[in-house]
Amino acid sequence: MTELSLRLAVSLAQILAEMGIVIVTIATMTYFERKVLGWMQDRMGPMEVGPYGILQPVADGIKLFFKEDIVPAGANKAMFALAPMLTMVVSMIGFAVIPFGSNMTMDIFGITIKPFVVADINIGILYILAIASIGAYGIILGGWASNSKYSLLGGLRAAAQVISYELNVGLAIVGVLLLAGSLSLVEITEAQAGGFWHWFIWGARPDGFFPIHTQIFAFVVFIISAVAETNRIPFDLPEAESELVAGFFTEYSGMRFAFFVSAEYASMTLVSCVAASLFLGGWNAPYPGTIFEYVGLEQLAWVEHIAWFACKVYFFLFLFVWIRATLPRLRYDQLMRFGWKVMLPIALANIVVTAITVYFFPRG
Amino acid sequence: MTRFIWFVSFISFLWLKGTGIETNQTNQINQTNKIDQTDQINMTFKTWIKTITFYEILVGMKVTMSHLLHYRPITLQYPHEKRTLPDNYRGMLALLRYDDGTEKCVGCDLCEAACPSRVIRVVSAEVPGEPTKRYAKEYYMDMTRCLFCGMCVDACPVDALGMTREYEWAVYDKRQLGLNKEQLLAIGDRSFPVREKQLELQHPNVAFFNVAFKHLPQKPS
Repeated sequence: MTELSLRLAVSLAQILAEMGIVIVTIATMTYFERKVLGWMQDRMGPMEVGPYGILQPVADGIKLFFKEDIVPAGANKAMFALAPMLTMVVSMIGFAVIPFGSNMTMDIFGITIKPFVVADINIGILYILAIASIGAYGIILGGWASNSKYSLLGGLRAAAQVISYELNVGLAIVGVLLLAGSLSLVEITEAQAGGFWHWFIWGARPDGFFPIHTQIFAFVVFIISAVAETNRIPFDLPEAESELVAGFFTEYSGMRFAFFVSAEYASMTLVSCVAASLFLGGWNAPYPGTIFEYVGLEQLAWVEHIAWFACKVYFFLFLFVWIRATLPRLRYDQLMRFGWKVMLPIALANIVVTAITVYFFPRG
Repeated sequence: MTRFIWFVSFISFLWLKGTGIETNQTNQINQTNKIDQTDQINMTFKTWIKTITFYEILVGMKVTMSHLLHYRPITLQYPHEKRTLPDNYRGMLALLRYDDGTEKCVGCDLCEAACPSRVIRVVSAEVPGEPTKRYAKEYYMDMTRCLFCGMCVDACPVDALGMTREYEWAVYDKRQLGLNKEQLLAIGDRSFPVREKQLELQHPNVAFFNVAFKHLPQKPS
């Protein structure tokens, strides 16, 4: 009994720590995005709260927390309350299977845990796909329960878009799964050890450096579909400001609005983590081993691993902001045509070609 | 390597089928203009390469990145930094005084007549004891309606109205913008500390007649 409760306590502490990291990342992203977007458009971004507006996320949080919570007349109250929670929870629990650092084990009070991954389940990527699909329900429910035409249109658009592009995400991942031979994100990341050319975006075999199993097409498909799935510009039709006020969260205010917005940032971060783990080698450095190992500090190698992982994730997050600063919104038929007639064939062709090459040039 | 080339060609085939633009274009061009055939094929190949590498998007992303790297914001941090106003800036209206503190306004109502949006209301009265002199007993301006055209200032025969360089007149209550004579004089006092000298022989109404005579039709010479 004591061991069980201790295990529970340790797990909860780990979950809390990871949630804290994710929430801090969300807060940072809101500031970072406004700042970078401003700089790219010859503006300054937030400058008032604190030096260079650094306390803007705190001010926003306080403001949203104390705002009046309005439920529109005729709204389905239960569903209206459920939608933001569903979206938020779903985008947060996806982080459970992401390996932030090396796959080491640690003993705390006689309990063995993996400090850098909350739940190392052997179907990690499947779990993330399933959870991400539930996220669409939050958006659709929110759009429907608001009793507003803008919200409903946003929700319907989100449904069509997420279904179209989730397919591409799933198919783009299959090539990586063929190479790694596993669904666990920890094992997929470990299969990419050994330097830059062994990342699955290049896909060199463990004994060579020729990028024979390259997944760069799957990578491009995955990134584009990920942008579409997180409803970001240029695929932000569900929340198109110029057409639908704010899309599915038009009627939301206060903390519920904050939930939707932070869920968007959380799913952005989640997608970046998945992309980094699947295609860019996760916590592996672009050179074999780590520098700390070479200088004889093996016990500090995890710092370097985490640093590399953070670098890759922030690269993707910056890419999202960069794309947002550059591109206008797609038209709806362009969105659908691009998803079904361009992305889907490429993803399918990638699966066929990868399967054939993995059969003829097996890994290891 | 062969695998790679095969893969790329397969993808490109699918892409061409997916977009469906390039092939049609090529057919049309082949039918119409056979001289430039090779050129056109090269062009379509080039556009095709541009399509699959997202060339246009990368060009756009280069632009945004260059703006990020050469960061020169055009923002003015307004409450902390302020614009330099032009010399003829037309700001808040004010009533002026002579150097001895008497009001310039003679209560002629011309500003009220000139105002296109009926901002001004003048109640004119005789100066007690001096039957030829008049003055504005009451003078109201509803600044919510003012469009700062300056026509009242132009119309004034005695230069009793002036446009100051004040523009920070945001208030919480609209009624605070309905100004009376004292408020307008106070604005004039703080904006024009150097006052015009009142001439000894200048009767206020003389100025009025001067203006009237200036606008008499001239005889064609």
